[in-house]
Amino acid sequence: MIDISGLISTIMNNSVNIPLLYVIYEFLLKIPVLGGIVAFLLDFSILGMPVVKSIIGFVLWKPFFTLIIIPGFATLGTMLLVLPWLERKLVGRMQWRVGPREIEPYTRGSIQLLADTFRFLFQEVIIHKDAHKHYFLQFPFLYFIPVLLPLLFINAGAAGHPLVPIQTDYALQIMIALVSLMPVFIIGAAWAANNRFSFIGAVREAFMYFAYEIPFIIAVLAMIVLYGTSNTAEVISGVNQSSWLNWGIILNPFAALTFFIAMAMATSRLPFDIPEADQEVAFGPFVEYTGIVFGLAYIMAYEKAYVLAAIMTMLFFGGGSGPVIPYLGELSYGIWFVVKTLIILLVLVNLRGVYPRYRIDQALSIGWGAMLTLALFALVWSVVVVVVIGVII
Amino acid sequence: MENPNEHIDFLESGPLAPLKKWSAKWSLWPCHFITSCCGVELAHAFACGYDGERLGTLNLGISRQSNFIIIEGTITRKMARALKFVYGQMPDPKFVNVIGACGERGGIFWNSYNITHPSDIVPVDFFIPGCPVTPESLLRGVRALQDKIMGVDKKTIEFKKVELPFEEKLEERMVPTSPKIYAPTPEIKVDVKRVVDWDFGKELEHTLRKELKGLFESITITGTNTIAIRTTPESLMEVARKLKGQMNFDHVKSVNVIEVPHERKYIVEYMASSYSVEELMPVLITIFTEIGIKNPKIQSLMSVWEGANYSERELHEFFGVWFEGNDWMGKKFLLAPDTPDLPLRKEFKIPEDRYVFEKDVEPEFMVPIEPPKDLYTPIWEEFIEEAYDSDEIVVPIGPHHPGSGHLRVTFRIKGDRIVDALPEPGFVHRSMEKLAENKLYIQNIPLFERLAINDPVNMNLAYVRTVENALGIEVPERAQYLRTILAELSRIEAFYYDAGIFSLFFGHTTGFMYCMAIREMIIEPLMHISGSRCGPSFIVPGGLRRDISDDVLGMIDNITFAIHKRAKKFESIFVTNPVTIARAKGVGVLAKEDAIRCGMVGPFLRASGVNYDVRKVAPYEAYDKLDWEVTTGDDGDCLGRFLGRLEEIRESVKIVKQGVDVVKGIKGPILSEDILGEYKEASSDIKGNFFRVFGNIVLPKGEWTTITEAARGTTLFTINSDGESNVPYRVRVMSPCWMNLKGFMEAVKGERYADFWAVYGSFGYFPPEADR
Amino acid sequence: MKKVGTPEYDLSDKLKYHVSALSTAAKEMALPLNITTHYPRERKRQPDCFRGYMLFDPERCISCFQCSFVCPANAIWMKDAPSGRYYPTVDYGKCIFCHFCIDSCPGGALRTTKIHDVAYKTMDEMFTSTEEMIEPPEIIREDVGVVDYVIDKEDLSLKRTKEKDELIVDVEPSQGVPMVSVCVDRGSCLACKVCDMICESGAVSSVVDEAAMTVKMAIDAEKCTGCGLCVKECSMQILRLVRK
Repeated sequence: MIDISGLISTIMNNSVNIPLLYVIYEFLLKIPVLGGIVAFLLDFSILGMPVVKSIIGFVLWKPFFTLIIIPGFATLGTMLLVLPWLERKLVGRMQWRVGPREIEPYTRGSIQLLADTFRFLFQEVIIHKDAHKHYFLQFPFLYFIPVLLPLLFINAGAAGHPLVPIQTDYALQIMIALVSLMPVFIIGAAWAANNRFSFIGAVREAFMYFAYEIPFIIAVLAMIVLYGTSNTAEVISGVNQSSWLNWGIILNPFAALTFFIAMAMATSRLPFDIPEADQEVAFGPFVEYTGIVFGLAYIMAYEKAYVLAAIMTMLFFGGGSGPVIPYLGELSYGIWFVVKTLIILLVLVNLRGVYPRYRIDQALSIGWGAMLTLALFALVWSVVVVVVIGVII
Repeated sequence: MENPNEHIDFLESGPLAPLKKWSAKWSLWPCHFITSCCGVELAHAFACGYDGERLGTLNLGISRQSNFIIIEGTITRKMARALKFVYGQMPDPKFVNVIGACGERGGIFWNSYNITHPSDIVPVDFFIPGCPVTPESLLRGVRALQDKIMGVDKKTIEFKKVELPFEEKLEERMVPTSPKIYAPTPEIKVDVKRVVDWDFGKELEHTLRKELKGLFESITITGTNTIAIRTTPESLMEVARKLKGQMNFDHVKSVNVIEVPHERKYIVEYMASSYSVEELMPVLITIFTEIGIKNPKIQSLMSVWEGANYSERELHEFFGVWFEGNDWMGKKFLLAPDTPDLPLRKEFKIPEDRYVFEKDVEPEFMVPIEPPKDLYTPIWEEFIEEAYDSDEIVVPIGPHHPGSGHLRVTFRIKGDRIVDALPEPGFVHRSMEKLAENKLYIQNIPLFERLAINDPVNMNLAYVRTVENALGIEVPERAQYLRTILAELSRIEAFYYDAGIFSLFFGHTTGFMYCMAIREMIIEPLMHISGSRCGPSFIVPGGLRRDISDDVLGMIDNITFAIHKRAKKFESIFVTNPVTIARAKGVGVLAKEDAIRCGMVGPFLRASGVNYDVRKVAPYEAYDKLDWEVTTGDDGDCLGRFLGRLEEIRESVKIVKQGVDVVKGIKGPILSEDILGEYKEASSDIKGNFFRVFGNIVLPKGEWTTITEAARGTTLFTINSDGESNVPYRVRVMSPCWMNLKGFMEAVKGERYADFWAVYGSFGYFPPEADR
Repeated sequence: MKKVGTPEYDLSDKLKYHVSALSTAAKEMALPLNITTHYPRERKRQPDCFRGYMLFDPERCISCFQCSFVCPANAIWMKDAPSGRYYPTVDYGKCIFCHFCIDSCPGGALRTTKIHDVAYKTMDEMFTSTEEMIEPPEIIREDVGVVDYVIDKEDLSLKRTKEKDELIVDVEPSQGVPMVSVCVDRGSCLACKVCDMICESGAVSSVVDEAAMTVKMAIDAEKCTGCGLCVKECSMQILRLVRK
């Protein structure tokens, strides 16, 4: 016999505390007829289990909430729909034009991405004769594994209030390992497409991969040294990041810069969109993809960008820390986290409007030269900071 | 085309039909498939002036990712195959719009030997008239297509029929005949002697006679700055060697073949000039010889003047003249495999104009053209085999590629280095030279303007100047200044277009948009003057079509100030951007000697350090009365070529500003009395008398050559007239991009793969201009 | 002669120009110099001389064929009306909107409009007969506003007005120089009657000279419209156009 009430209490004790819900509940109860219905619904139970209450409780149950809502799938999905639209709008604005606008004019074009998604969905998927059929179709889907798994370790909370599905001491390492896995799938997809341009794109991707990966890892390492932990839950509370003076970007701006440039390289954003360079290799690895498979390939980079931006928020911008919004309780941390991540992403995508593209050899020399130097310096800086803080305290 | 509405039917099917239709409606992504000059207006429609992205129409990726083809104008026989390919590669459901008259019933190229009708090749959803279309009508086409997808059947234009007046029935009238007069046996003479006041020419003639002793048959001064040397096929090579070696005529400006079928001969001529000696710069030496029409063979002068290479290949295809020593004889270069053979021979006739509906005959509006059946596009086998034997890969770029334009270049790449590049022009070869032989002199004005519709005034001017030169017309002063202003506006326009494309090739869309915004600003006065955005056809022999009002001159004056604000923004976001500098500096270097050797022209020659500008060397219009400087550079790399042109924009703005100031003070006619004849009233507005004045121009007998500095370089027009016909016997156009192709390919070799786009953009290569 | 060099950047230059590019971008994002015309909802105001679709006034047409002769794209073919006169038709599948025809028209029968944004489903519709060119056509109008480009000494800016732009331009039709055809050498006339057969205004008549037993042609200057077709077709080239 399952101890339902015990289970419920476990869930309830480990749920996201949002005072606003109680306020709404109280308010609803005061409304004459509606109040009765609400009260009835909440009390309605089968086999002694209050159904609505348990559903709400389950949604707010931390392991579920963090995985599915913030910072998990729902946030990722929203980002994927909103980010390309925001990018098109903002870059358009920068370019003295408007961007998507006429689609259902009262929405001011905000559902443009929905139209594009559905159009891709209903389009023919062509697998051309020379492609390796199975790999060609599988890789864009397999790519979701290294993208979705890091979501398990993202902490959207603040000091003392972690919002993370899995807490482990190796969280950052696992995330980096998974992120490093992503280019393999891109190269695989490019190989399967068997096209000159995708071949060139794959080679470029491989080169770029080596150029940014090492500075990237060193930059993260610098932060691990600084915080003394790689558990995402503790990173947030490590050096008391609740005050912005203690944010990683203040403590170690060099690591932050390295991380940001590596992020631009890793997600193939301008000025480093070399593997996918539109004018040179026509989307490189994805040149042969059509329909929804191309749609997936197209958002791949955005997914990766979300994961990396989330890591950056945790490491350098204090995660979800920020002034607590009354009534929202723990949810306010999540909101701060999403806002910060979105800002980082917007800066990243809007680089498209500012920079032309580097050549592959120039990007490599930046990666192996300037960035590596900067990353090593950041590591040394971290050690120094740790020693200094140790001396002061 | 079994069912042209197949794609619409698919959208109508299934329970999700509304969603399918809705999403297709708002997500029409055209692919990067620019087929001809309307691409300029496509750029405007999707740039900040009109921003097609508002309608959910985004230019992204290639055929695989998109669902919409906008066919921009002419589909040549070569491009027709590419169109078939692209359409086939595109996932269903897919849509096709045709913009521009050339893609419909052929427009001004309706009787060309090298065009096809896109409607025969792919199912077309909408046809949009215009030449070039305005961005507004392009977007109207998108709107109409959106309506069609949603199942709304609405005509975009409804005509009201009105009965024609009927007073009395006339008895059957005779139908007038064609206004064109062709001489039955035209007398073609290249070296018609002319008495001109040219002391240096007499001196030069003397020197030439001494240097070329025994090698020539005659040396004639045919006009100011032109000398013709008649020689024999055997000594042609020796004359050329001497000219280059002893006389410093270091490059060739034009190669020409004239067929005279009734005299059973070809006239082959080379026009040489000098970049190294200052006083020889304006001089054009024509060496020509006659060869029999049977088995026409002649020594190629490629070994003397490398710049002649591509022109010889082209003339070989046009006339069948075999240039011995040129390794491309017997192969196709510009034309498609199924283009009629030897199309420029007089015996190859193109359809004649019609002026009336014949009684009781179903009118045939369109010349039926057999579309190419196969998809065969040759790539040179030796080139590929050689590459496969070594560890190189072969990468063909274009014509359907986000960064190619209407050109195909096949690379052999080793590592990341381009070992060899093989250009394949001709995707926009609309056979202007042939068409011009069948049009009145005045009708050729819009034709040659289509060489480069982003630099229309200069192209227009170059042709009109040749006609004026032949007729000996002096243009009134006011018209001279106005023409100078228009030409410089057009130059600015063209340079900003090139700068936009340059930034786009680096992936910098913002730079592209900013350039297009500046262009939009410059197009505004051009539209107020002529009524057309990109095809003013405003300059006519003797002056302009009508006077320009002070309001518009004021607007032009304002532009010379206003342009700086936006130009500065462009500069800080793109030109001085460290990434741009890193990409363009030291890339694609063309040394001075190479530039001269390849016969480069225009800003690209000047960037390599040669101080040559036709506006200074042989001034025309009002250029010698205004204060401006030639811009040169020493580096000869991509950045140098790009910055040099930006500097030239500043000089052009200076010229325009001075020109406007001067022209406000000059009152007077804008059309020369020499050409107006008795229609003196038309001296400030030709309206109502256009055909009466210009309809029957006949050029004096002889060969007329004029060089003009268009935006991208020296444009050379050679018109051969027999003195009787009111159509030209032969027109030879050497457009700047065609001259620059050789140097462009030289500059690419040895660079990295990604540098191709840097070099491409820096040369401002505009294929319609090159292919003619 | 001006020399243009290419800049060489050191580290501080690089930083400076990175900052300048980024700050320009930020500035433009905050206060963009937007110049977009929202086309279907608003139109850009075209000047009156805009070269668009053409209108035709049969009252002014003298059937001189000049529009057809001058058309570079051969888009204008003349069609005989029920009355036997020839009037122009335009094939917009060929027309390049150079308006040489309008400039040629001596009677001002052709005039321009600002209509240009049109899309056709089939090419057959693109042929426009004379009857359809007389009244202004209706096009789909989704616009509620007009955009004017204002160019002052500072910058290009847009002026938006809530009104519908009038697309039919009301300009004075051009008047060419009134001409009349005369015979300059009556003696050479062969009386081949080409001029009579081609004349649509009935100005040419044959005169029989009883004494010399010859037939000569005579042109009635009152009736002659000066279309010049007889001058063009005259087999002896003895006709000239002169001022009325």
